[in-house]
Amino acid sequence: MERSFKHEVQSLKLGDGEIFHGEGILAVTKALLQSGVSYVGGYQGAPVSHLLDVLVDAKETMDGLGVHLETCANEASAAAMLGASINYPIRGAVTWKSIVGTNVAADALSNLASPGVKGGALVILGEDYGEGASVIQERSYAYAMKCTMPLLDPRPDLPSIVRAVEEGFDLSEASHAPVMLELRIRACHVTGEFAAKANRPGTHSALNKFNAPAPHDYNRLSHPPVTFVQERLKVEERLPAARDFIRAHKLNEIFAGDLDEIGIVVMGGLYNVLVRALLRLGLADLWGQSRIPIYCLNAVYPLVPEEVREFCTGKRAVLVVEEGHPDYIEQQINVILRRADINTRVEGKGTLPPAGEYTAEIMLKGLAAFLAAARPAGVAADAIVKAVDALIGRKDEAARDVGHLPARPPTFCTGCPERPVFSALKLLQRETGPAHISTDIGCHSFATFAPFSMGNSILGYGMSLAAAAAVGPNLAKRPISVMGDGGFWHNGVITGVVSSLFNQGDGVLIVMQNGYASATGQQYLPSSAGARPGGAATMDIERTLKALGVRWLKTVRSYSVATMAKTLRQAMTTKAAGLKVIIADGECQLARQRRVGADDAARLAAGRRVIKARYGVDDAICTGDHSCIRLSGCPSLTVKPSPDPLRTDPVASVVDSCVGCGLCGEVAHAAVLCPSFYRAEIVRNPSWWDRAIDRIRRRVIARLGGAAGTAAA
Amino acid sequence: MTAEVRPLSILIAALGGEGGGVLSQWIVAAAARCGFPAQSTSIPGVAQRTGATTYYLEIMPVPAPELGGRRPVMALMPGIGDVDLLLATELAEATRQIALGFVTPDRTHVVASLARSYIMPEKMAMADGRLDDTRLAALVARHARASLFLDLEALAYESGAMVNAIMLGALAGTGMLTIPIETFAAVIAEGSRAADANLRGFRAGLAAAQRGQSEMPRSPTKRWRLGTADLATVEAEAATLPESLRPLVIEGIRRLAHYQDADYAWDYVERVKRAVAIDAAAGAGGKLAQAAARHLALRMSFEDVIRVAQVKSDPARLARIRIELGAASGDPVRVVEYFKPGIDELCSILPPALARRILALAERRGWLGRVYWGMHIKTHTVAGYLRLKALAALRRYRRKTHRFQAEQREIETWLAAIADAAALSPPLALEIAECANLIKGYGDTWKRGMANYRAIFEHVVRPALARRLPVAIAADAVANARTAALADPDGVRFGATLADIEKRTVLQVAE
Repeated sequence: MERSFKHEVQSLKLGDGEIFHGEGILAVTKALLQSGVSYVGGYQGAPVSHLLDVLVDAKETMDGLGVHLETCANEASAAAMLGASINYPIRGAVTWKSIVGTNVAADALSNLASPGVKGGALVILGEDYGEGASVIQERSYAYAMKCTMPLLDPRPDLPSIVRAVEEGFDLSEASHAPVMLELRIRACHVTGEFAAKANRPGTHSALNKFNAPAPHDYNRLSHPPVTFVQERLKVEERLPAARDFIRAHKLNEIFAGDLDEIGIVVMGGLYNVLVRALLRLGLADLWGQSRIPIYCLNAVYPLVPEEVREFCTGKRAVLVVEEGHPDYIEQQINVILRRADINTRVEGKGTLPPAGEYTAEIMLKGLAAFLAAARPAGVAADAIVKAVDALIGRKDEAARDVGHLPARPPTFCTGCPERPVFSALKLLQRETGPAHISTDIGCHSFATFAPFSMGNSILGYGMSLAAAAAVGPNLAKRPISVMGDGGFWHNGVITGVVSSLFNQGDGVLIVMQNGYASATGQQYLPSSAGARPGGAATMDIERTLKALGVRWLKTVRSYSVATMAKTLRQAMTTKAAGLKVIIADGECQLARQRRVGADDAARLAAGRRVIKARYGVDDAICTGDHSCIRLSGCPSLTVKPSPDPLRTDPVASVVDSCVGCGLCGEVAHAAVLCPSFYRAEIVRNPSWWDRAIDRIRRRVIARLGGAAGTAAA
Repeated sequence: MTAEVRPLSILIAALGGEGGGVLSQWIVAAAARCGFPAQSTSIPGVAQRTGATTYYLEIMPVPAPELGGRRPVMALMPGIGDVDLLLATELAEATRQIALGFVTPDRTHVVASLARSYIMPEKMAMADGRLDDTRLAALVARHARASLFLDLEALAYESGAMVNAIMLGALAGTGMLTIPIETFAAVIAEGSRAADANLRGFRAGLAAAQRGQSEMPRSPTKRWRLGTADLATVEAEAATLPESLRPLVIEGIRRLAHYQDADYAWDYVERVKRAVAIDAAAGAGGKLAQAAARHLALRMSFEDVIRVAQVKSDPARLARIRIELGAASGDPVRVVEYFKPGIDELCSILPPALARRILALAERRGWLGRVYWGMHIKTHTVAGYLRLKALAALRRYRRKTHRFQAEQREIETWLAAIADAAALSPPLALEIAECANLIKGYGDTWKRGMANYRAIFEHVVRPALARRLPVAIAADAVANARTAALADPDGVRFGATLADIEKRTVLQVAE
């Protein structure tokens, strides 16, 4: 894995009263162990990858508690795992990145929510929304509503988050509904502390197994006719039970304030942004004492009508601070108030933007607008509006002063094995014209950015081949689908490959075999070489494809640009019908460097022979056209001022971060660029033979070259 | 305590993979040792892959016990105009935060690295696409309450540490946080494998910050050539040229003497004299002569296989490579060159008659752009070095080669065009001179550049000289065409621009 959690693992062992220091998502992990879970599972993805990563490193702690950990093949298998709590009174939790993961899990979630659970079932959602998000912007809230699953959105503060986890299980057991807990990106990574409790083993677990399976009980099946009964149960029993629990245990918080003719209803996750905005407007202090009453929804679904009514009664207007579209909460509040004939004016979307993250700036704007409309006594609304406008005006001025600044999106790491594949694709297209490229989720989607700027569609994780199924038949040229080994195992093998073979599809598929789920932090995959200790025997993509009946199948070393371009050309032009698969084979360079780096260091220390290679550009030969960069985009291939007094354009330059992957040379060769590139190797701890031959060579060459020759031509 | 105490807000702007996460962990840990409530958060996602990313921290400059059990509500994201300290590990990223409203004159102290990590569009440009570092630094200085510029990259290199350690030292050096320097040092020295390196880096950053003076972006170092005895007469001749031209022309002389011989350098001086005369006649104030003299030297030392071999076999070059690798005198170093000459390259060093015949044949057979000889030359071996030497030795036959004679013709045509244009309008002449900048590189790159250059001559320069394109717009037309030629490698914008100019030309005729 990209990050080792040895240190964090220790904090998972903390006992009663000891103070936990760390990230939000790790606090959740500790909270799970404190809650007596019997099983945990999930699928990695920012911002919740660490939850699983740390548990993988914490094997011994887990075994001590008899907790079963499953690193699931995808979110659907994670969600289905919660099925254990349908029949058995054991607690379990799963996690994934939302909205995408929830979409994948949807089928199992519905079938879980319908019969309901005996043991607490918790879904930890990494709500990948707003700045830093890497997926389509949708809310998980819709799933909570349609599946009738309570949804918690605690204040982004470790004690609140931990409480939400613990009470989440109780809520689930009290209502027999599985519960979702959403954490936004920054909340997952926020550092803080909380007083830990001792871990407790589950009532039943690997340490204390059930002797007999649960008896057959039709009501536990999501199958007609009981599904009709279950639908009624969800609405008539579980929802009310959930509301009662939320109210009884004060999951939602009310912060009183003197300006009680107005109020603010806020999602727990947005509480800090709200209070800090109020602070800047002089309407709250740093300790959360707000002049405007705040109703903080740590449980955003279901709403508790009694609480809403109590809060709104006697208020002229309330502002609903609800991030994202649609305005589910605002609508429900309107209905609740209408039914109770309470005429409190409800402001929400409109005063605040209808979509997008509610940043500090947006919050300031929204509050100013709300105050300007509500005009509470004793608040200089106009002054506030003026101040906020001035603030934003200054920002716009600054932006104008800075002018255009190109974005800096993420890109392939130095030496990434996937970059050369796109170099080859670019060369091929230069030669045979543009091709339809169906892109996927994974590091390789960085090829959608410069310098490659490739890709026609992204339909989800492992979906690229399926997304091209109807393109091929309507296009003169074969479409090319790109898929990572992560996407392949996540579902691409079925959704894409099987479907294509079953329908005699005639496309080209490139599978990036780098050995890990790299974008999320190099978690192991079914096909990872030497998978996790104790893990299953590794599966093989090539053998799998053969077994499925792929006939046109080539495995190419991903760095061999010329060969890759040639193979792609064949795949595009061959008469052979059916799916053509090219496995681009090359280990994730981040992972490789971690391994090789350590090895080399050890060998060097031991005085053993080590060859370090890197590439270079002769700045006297490079004329500053930068074709090489347009075909590579490697972070270590950059530009520097030309040392030539007569040249003004910067020349290409390879910086120290170069790992000697060889792409520069391959590209310069395959693309017939220029003779500037050279490969330089240094032999550390050379053998006597290395030294001898080197000494002879240098002596002879010195003779040949003489002392003549000025700095550079 | 009263409500006046507010947390100190720190925004870190970094690039993925620079260790910004560790940096914020160090800061939080240091704060914790002082009992200051602190919080950090980030939005890494995939930005960890060298993309721009930020980390945000808040630190209460008051020990928790003095807060009477109250817990501050800490922000998870910076507010516009609400940041006390910006730490930027890259200059452009500092200005990005200005545009977002996180750097304001009333509040924000900035510690920014002068080191640039160029953004893809800057690197991809076909000529010079770099942002102006001086302007970027000025922006920071203008918008910050106080700014400290450090070359983190250089400091990191010298101290053999990562930039995050240097930045922590710099932060400690600013004394902005009421956290003792020793506390920071203690935190960074703790545990990790790289503790020593980190501590070195920390000290380096600290010292640099305490020195405090803001270094401005350094001007690039040029590699001027040394003179040789046999060039004395030629260089003496150059002394008759205008003062302002001399350094440039001397460099040109030495370059061409090394490229070919003293006679060739003499030819260069003669051509420069003509350019000077043209400039004087047109009253171009020396700018035309300057441009012409620079491009002349470059055009006359065109890149052919011989020159490449000269450069590759230069002992000074091998010495440079050893230094870059940090090789001790005893360490064996191996160098492999990537050559892939095609039929054009081969013909460029053959006699014109023969070359023309081969090229014609290759044209018919469609070999051009398809037939290449890929070779990996091991310069560190005797055999490999000899191959380079042999190629370089062809220098004495260069004047007789196809390419040489073709280039001389091109140069004369170019000079003639400049002369004719100067009579009409000096700006036009200058633009024509600058067109030489399009001709550079090898293989496909050179072909594309040459084609664009010829197209501009054909569709803009000739019409202008023939008065079919109004002189008033001619200079701009050439300039636009030149910029367009460097806009994209596929020549999309170039084609459009030429078509546009063509229209105006035709119109003129119609009227």
